[in-house]
Amino acid sequence: MAQLGFLEKWTLRFAVVGLLFLALSGLEGVLMRIDLVNEEALLGLQGALNVIRPLGQGASPAEYFYATLTAHPIVGIYGFAYMAIMGAFYFLVPFLLKKEIRFKKLVPVNFFLQIAGVLICWAAGFFLLFNGLYTLYWPLPVSFDRVPVAGTAMFGFGLLLIEINILIFVFNLFATVLRRSNPSPGYSLRRYLMEAFGLSRLVRFLLRKEKSEDDLRYEEMPVFIVAVGRGSIDTVINAFVLLTAGALLVIYAVPALAAGLYLNPQAIDPLIYKNWFWWGLDMVADGNVLMYTAGTWYLLVPLLVGRKLYGESVVRTVILADLLISLGVWSHHLLADQPQPAFLRLLSGQFITWGEFLTMGLTIFAVMMTIWLARPVKFTPPLKFIMGSIFSFAVGGVAGVFQANYGLNVVAHNTQLIVGPHAHTMLLGGLAMLIFAVIYALIPMLTKIEIPNSRWVDVHLWGWLLGAFGMTSAMGWAGNLGMLRRTLYPDGAYQPEMVVALISSLLMAIAFASFLINIIRSLGWRNVLSLFIPQGRQVSPSPPSVT
Amino acid sequence: MERKEKLWFALLILIAVTFNAVTLSPLIPWQEWRLWSHPTPEKRFFIEMEDYEIRLPEQGIEVNAGEFVEFVVTSKDVTYGFGVFRPDGTIVFQMQVLPGWENKFLWKFDHPGTYSIRSTEYSGPRHPEMFLKDAIRVKS
Repeated sequence: MAQLGFLEKWTLRFAVVGLLFLALSGLEGVLMRIDLVNEEALLGLQGALNVIRPLGQGASPAEYFYATLTAHPIVGIYGFAYMAIMGAFYFLVPFLLKKEIRFKKLVPVNFFLQIAGVLICWAAGFFLLFNGLYTLYWPLPVSFDRVPVAGTAMFGFGLLLIEINILIFVFNLFATVLRRSNPSPGYSLRRYLMEAFGLSRLVRFLLRKEKSEDDLRYEEMPVFIVAVGRGSIDTVINAFVLLTAGALLVIYAVPALAAGLYLNPQAIDPLIYKNWFWWGLDMVADGNVLMYTAGTWYLLVPLLVGRKLYGESVVRTVILADLLISLGVWSHHLLADQPQPAFLRLLSGQFITWGEFLTMGLTIFAVMMTIWLARPVKFTPPLKFIMGSIFSFAVGGVAGVFQANYGLNVVAHNTQLIVGPHAHTMLLGGLAMLIFAVIYALIPMLTKIEIPNSRWVDVHLWGWLLGAFGMTSAMGWAGNLGMLRRTLYPDGAYQPEMVVALISSLLMAIAFASFLINIIRSLGWRNVLSLFIPQGRQVSPSPPSVT
Repeated sequence: MERKEKLWFALLILIAVTFNAVTLSPLIPWQEWRLWSHPTPEKRFFIEMEDYEIRLPEQGIEVNAGEFVEFVVTSKDVTYGFGVFRPDGTIVFQMQVLPGWENKFLWKFDHPGTYSIRSTEYSGPRHPEMFLKDAIRVKS
């Protein structure tokens, strides 16, 4: 393996830990699938685990299930996806701009704080059985007759840590982009934000101004960097809103825990809270995930097929349209809340949400046209996974806008239709496959070791894709039959669908194992372990690599 | 914008407009009264939720097929859901039940029979217990 530089090493560390969190999140997912087939199947395992978690004694299967359900998305999103994004962006942003990262010391800070925050949230579920779910619908997480107070406090602290860390990460990204460094120019914050929002183009169009030299300089900024800037704005809003949610948990839980002082949960209106929370939370789902994803497609696809991005000017305009859309879609999560004004449910919940169909439709078209016009194309491992992610985003996105509907939501809200064909198709098919593509693309860039386009890759690709679609289709069919999300059915209802979902999730586990085996075979165990062992303590130098 | 992009964009807009127009129209039966006609309900049922319990009116819930009824559901502690299900488990309609608010839903049952009520929102580990079988009776 080539001698790794500072950022290369940290990028790989972020990736390895991110994959470990994916494994943990996947294990939790499989355990919950088993619960949904037979809720008593895991009682023996839970009993054995109670040796290391005293508070688990006497808990019901439902308490274990909901604690796992609370930890699962935190580990998956903040453990896997954010760790992978941090690692990739910490390498790609300086690489593309040809400058150093602005604050190098913040890179390991981000690494350890993210791990700590995720593990604290996970531990709140595993050890203290915190079961408030990631939605944290007010006042459930501070209703201490049904949610353990210590768990709420711990989860709140973990969430605070994660969100503060994300703000630090975005600060470092922005500082790097804006940094003036020879020979690379610096950018002003105002102009970068205008570019990220697509406002420069709008202003020029409205004022019918010619492009100045400065405009041209900003237009030469890679689309990926513009998309990262745009996605990071959503990330900041999301982090700030969730920071307030975490702070509320701590404010309510700590006095109760320390002094038996129970603050009045009714001091906060649940509808206003829900609007605020979903407005912020949706900045991840409908803002930064889509923008970071689009940005990564814009970067990788031209590199992999050797052709300029098709329709780049349209792509930059789409970024402006997405400003309005991601800020205005949150009410699709409140379509079933009757006190929410109907005009908001229609305007924000349905019509603006459909804007994503247009922006993502144009994005996917630009990427697919780039690949089409570059024929003949060699389907390398990253390109195969990019195709999988595009297909999944298309399917999951269309499912999402169909469900974000004032009429259909009456029968679809909170059913497995939402969490299967939409959410998990987007996350497991769209986002995870994109992250796999990035890993396949970055490893040769970072280590000079090629990942062979072998059967291992095909097992990974098809196992993951078929597993993800098998699982989400089974969930969708169960939803069609009336199965709710977040609900354990003690009478074994919907068992056939849940058995199919379980088998499909195991297929994904096999695919993931194939991926790990392939990566470790290619890199070598010693090289992987050497990422985490200080150089002075390594037993012997890495063996020469075979490319 | 190139011609191919324009055509694709036009197709996307056509799909979006068609889907939204169809689903806002009375082709989806309940849209007719939820969005357009807003009829006055012939009966109104008040239901309370608290501490994992669904409290129905003392006289129960009995309606005639084809008449408009309104369910007014309140919660005294956390957010619940109010969902009505057919005997085969498929969903008829549902809404969220926010504490501190009157959560109202207007409905017209077309078919006689019995319907069950289930909380459709997670409210704590005992959430799955919130199920009332055959809680609504619809007469012909």
